Amino acid sequence: MSLEDEYRFVRHSAAISRMDHVCCVRIEGEDATEAVDAICSGDLWVRDGRMRQTLFLDESGQPTADVYVCPDDDSCILLFEGMTVEQLRNSMSRYADPALDTQMVDVRATHELISLHGPYAWEVMSRWLTPDIIGLPYLSFYHFDQGTCFRAGKTGEYGYDLAVRKEHADGAWKDLLELVSAVGGGELSLETLDLCALENGFFSVRHGSVEGLTPLELQLQWRVSARKRFPGADTIDARRAEGMRRRLTYFVARDGVRAGDEVCSQDGEVGRVRSAVLSPGVGGIAGTALLDISVAHPGIDAFWARHEDAKHSIRTVSSPLIFNRSLLVDPHRHTYETRDESFDPPLWLGAPP
Amino acid sequence: MTNNLSNYVAGREAVLDRVRHLLRDTMKLRLEPAAIDPDAPLFGTGLGMDSVDAVELVVQLDAMFGLQLSGSPFVSSNMRTVNTIVDAIMELADEP
Repeated sequence: MSLEDEYRFVRHSAAISRMDHVCCVRIEGEDATEAVDAICSGDLWVRDGRMRQTLFLDESGQPTADVYVCPDDDSCILLFEGMTVEQLRNSMSRYADPALDTQMVDVRATHELISLHGPYAWEVMSRWLTPDIIGLPYLSFYHFDQGTCFRAGKTGEYGYDLAVRKEHADGAWKDLLELVSAVGGGELSLETLDLCALENGFFSVRHGSVEGLTPLELQLQWRVSARKRFPGADTIDARRAEGMRRRLTYFVARDGVRAGDEVCSQDGEVGRVRSAVLSPGVGGIAGTALLDISVAHPGIDAFWARHEDAKHSIRTVSSPLIFNRSLLVDPHRHTYETRDESFDPPLWLGAPP
Repeated sequence: MTNNLSNYVAGREAVLDRVRHLLRDTMKLRLEPAAIDPDAPLFGTGLGMDSVDAVELVVQLDAMFGLQLSGSPFVSSNMRTVNTIVDAIMELADEP
């Protein structure tokens, strides 16, 4: 399947993917929430059944994992990317009070993770699981007889992450793929998933190096608590005190831009490209650059990316870059079968790059 | 930096600053203005606002900037991040 096909599945119908890049553990025990709170950067005010996006940071404030925390009765489910279960175990040993009563269970030993994305992913899920699933709010989860359904996703479309018990996983994949195909969709690679996340402004540990960066530069301050101490908090405080010097900024370009290119203005270098991918929705390159804070704003077309002798104009833009079809699809009124996209605006509302 | 670019950045920072203060003071976000990232999502995750907050925010933006955002196509395409709100305010302010 080509990237264009996969992209069409995510942006216009439904797509299914195996989540081999995601770890899932359950922290059990009387002090589960306290132990998780000690290692993640965000505040964990979240009710049972709801999810919160946060980060694990190292001592230098650099993100080591992108995390969903899901409090569940007396335990806490963690879905995370960027770190292994063993690394998480080491991190908990280092930062959480050893006297806390906790045990870590690797959910992947008994479950397979599958995800669905797209403006009609809800239709697939409502047929496969229950019509009630369309009422499940974003960032909440629901246990069912074969596992757990997390209403999540990082594409800007309707998204569901499923932890399905291994004995049911093959059957679930087959049935879901059939339902996805019935709404014009298909399988999705991690590469396309990452492209869609970038277009919608979601952080990914695979969107370029985070070397020397903290949530301040990455525009992830909303995932950082101002009230508690956590690994990396001292570095973040120090960087706030001295003033932010660079900020991640989105851009579009016609072509030729690559990660690592210098970003220049007529006065000299103003930053560096962190990620650059060909976006079918934008019709050119979509990417991120770390720009000097004095010019880290959308709406600027005075810069170019330079690689050796080649220069390519870029235009800084606001995130998200895509006007998602899911914003126009109402599960109570629409279906894939009766859809009419003839009056829909384009995915990219800006001028051609 | 050219005059055009420095004027644009100064204008954008002024609008961004006002929107950040509005979010903190009126929408009761428990964040300092400088900690409200321009590309942070407004709803769901990110700044954690909901549909009721969205209605209130549009009313407050109309009052603060003397614009008529309510009922315009602005709401569906621009109520996504602080930056998309700033884009819309700057665009509408430029209209004759």
